[in-house]
Amino acid sequence: MRMFLAIIICKILRFIGKLAGKGSSLPGKYALKICPDVLRRVKLPQYIIAVTGSNGKTSTVEMIAAILRKSGKTVVYNQEGSNQIEGVTTLVLCSSTPGGKMKADVLLLESDERYARLSFQWFHPTHFVITNLYRDQLTRNGHPEWVYDAILPAIHDNSTLVLNADDPLVSCFADGHERVRWFGLDRCSISTEEHCGVYHDGTLCPVCGGRMEYSCYHYGHIGHYRCAGCGHHRHEPDFAVTALDLDGGRLTLDGETEISLAFRSIYNVYNILAAWSVCSLAGVDRGTMASVINNYILKNGRMVQFRLGGHHGTLLTSKHENSVAYDTNLGYIASAREPCKVLVIVDAISRKYFTGETSWLWDIDFSQLNREQVKQIVLCGKYVHDLAMRFDYTGIPAERIVCYDAVAQAAGALAEDGGNEELYVVTCFSDRDKLLSLVRREED
Amino acid sequence: MELTVLHLFPDFMSLYGEYANVAVLRRYLERMGVSVTLRAVSCDDPPDFGGTDLIYMGAGTERKLKTALEKLLPHGDSLKAAAARGALVLFTGNAMTALGASVTDAGGKVWPGLGLADFTTVESDKRTPEDVIAAPVLWDAPAVGFMNKCSVTHGVSTPLFGRLLLGFGNEAERGAEGYVSENVFGTHITGPALVKNPDFLDFIVRRLFQQKGRAYAGPPPALPHQREAYEITLQELKARAGN
Repeated sequence: MRMFLAIIICKILRFIGKLAGKGSSLPGKYALKICPDVLRRVKLPQYIIAVTGSNGKTSTVEMIAAILRKSGKTVVYNQEGSNQIEGVTTLVLCSSTPGGKMKADVLLLESDERYARLSFQWFHPTHFVITNLYRDQLTRNGHPEWVYDAILPAIHDNSTLVLNADDPLVSCFADGHERVRWFGLDRCSISTEEHCGVYHDGTLCPVCGGRMEYSCYHYGHIGHYRCAGCGHHRHEPDFAVTALDLDGGRLTLDGETEISLAFRSIYNVYNILAAWSVCSLAGVDRGTMASVINNYILKNGRMVQFRLGGHHGTLLTSKHENSVAYDTNLGYIASAREPCKVLVIVDAISRKYFTGETSWLWDIDFSQLNREQVKQIVLCGKYVHDLAMRFDYTGIPAERIVCYDAVAQAAGALAEDGGNEELYVVTCFSDRDKLLSLVRREED
Repeated sequence: MELTVLHLFPDFMSLYGEYANVAVLRRYLERMGVSVTLRAVSCDDPPDFGGTDLIYMGAGTERKLKTALEKLLPHGDSLKAAAARGALVLFTGNAMTALGASVTDAGGKVWPGLGLADFTTVESDKRTPEDVIAAPVLWDAPAVGFMNKCSVTHGVSTPLFGRLLLGFGNEAERGAEGYVSENVFGTHITGPALVKNPDFLDFIVRRLFQQKGRAYAGPPPALPHQREAYEITLQELKARAGN
């Protein structure tokens, strides 16, 4: 009876909330008050897929949903990114019959890495995808090992872990766990012998603290590793990108399926691979998967095309406090061959909470922009001086850098500079609308 | 004048961009005509404190701090000897806790510290990540920054900061923070504290001159953008603190 009441109340509150334009956590919150173990009582579908990790959750989940739907399955997923227990409760109950049966073949969850254990104390995923663990929002998350420790209690013995074999910290989740499937990227054109980037979180083995040896790096601490001390090593992947031509925008999955990349970033490659892996495990055939992910353009709007003055612009949404997201986008810009300008905006560090913390700027490899074709770098926002100081240590000639306090000033100067180079904008969700409100967006 | 800076474990004790402290210190000194030799001790190297004028270590994860402690403990006496002959020791973030008598981890295991100070630290599974405004004991301008800590430090009688206007101190919210004794300095402020705080940077440089027995000719021209960045952060944090 309590479950019935919780479901009905949740549905009503969600209906009202939608009319009022409210978020999705409140209905779940009340439902949990009425029936705290409602998530255990509801009959969940055959497949419960959860995705967690520092980067790529939203994109990976979006692609998994698209593939599963194409294969004919009904999928319920937290599209709005409400990934804490209240939001998950709302999602599940609003997709259930009053009798408590979820109306879907697959429940797909983007799961907040810090709160996964709260949701999964009542039920557990059949498949738990862990993409990577990097330095991400350290003002909230502490550091990657802290996040690792937070995820660990969320893992149930009966879940199949789908792990990134190339991440030495993520690989530790397999210790003592029977059901593990691995995905990874074979040595390929982008692999390097030496580590690239400002910092290297894979220097020491996460198991024993010994020195880690890499036979190749893909980016950051992601690559092929082995600890000389305890033997912790990359596992041979069950699902692999076996060939990659990032410049040409093509990759091969499991030796035979070739697909094109709509967005040529190493990031996108791993997201596709994670989606491919878990959808394979859910029984989707290769042809169906390939037809969806071939040239897949993400709908979560992280890349926006626009015009500003004589410039065609591309906004690459990074995340503040996430150096890997920045580095990936900077690498994308660095690979451009035509002359360009770059605008970096750091105004509000987060849209969700206050902080004045800017140490993450020092983790970003801005020296990637030290290239001939990058004609000018415009810095702006409240933290422009922190940015400018960081750029002083990149080796980029000072005459190529211009600073403005306000986003509008920077946009005005670019609109009137008479140039027609491509303009790349690197910033966060928290700041991008400050620019997008001043430019003419092009349709996707 | 020539100075040698020893950076301990930049390869795994630089969790919040602490390497920038060394970079900015070097740039500042070089603007004053000081020739700086930078020696980095990596995870494979035994530290050699001989001839060093400043020994620096930044923050790491709780596990990596223990790795650093294990690597440094056999050399504890030579670190103490370096401090005794006048080398500045500056440990920031959780590296500060290594200066004390012990660090107890969240599981209750007690790790011996380097013993440059008597204080003890207890880690827990609760984190108190917070922005910080700190009132220094030895210079005027408040320090700004961030603390990403999960520990409480007991028994500091000579803090580097008398109180915090924002943030969690050694033992309490807005309490005294850090440690100073002669030429040994510790603060749990994480990240590039010397980048964010021009006066903290200048204070350290003055002390380096003092240890060398050289007259300090006054600060060099400010590093571009440093003062402006500081003022904006201070203003933001003060508004946050309600001052």
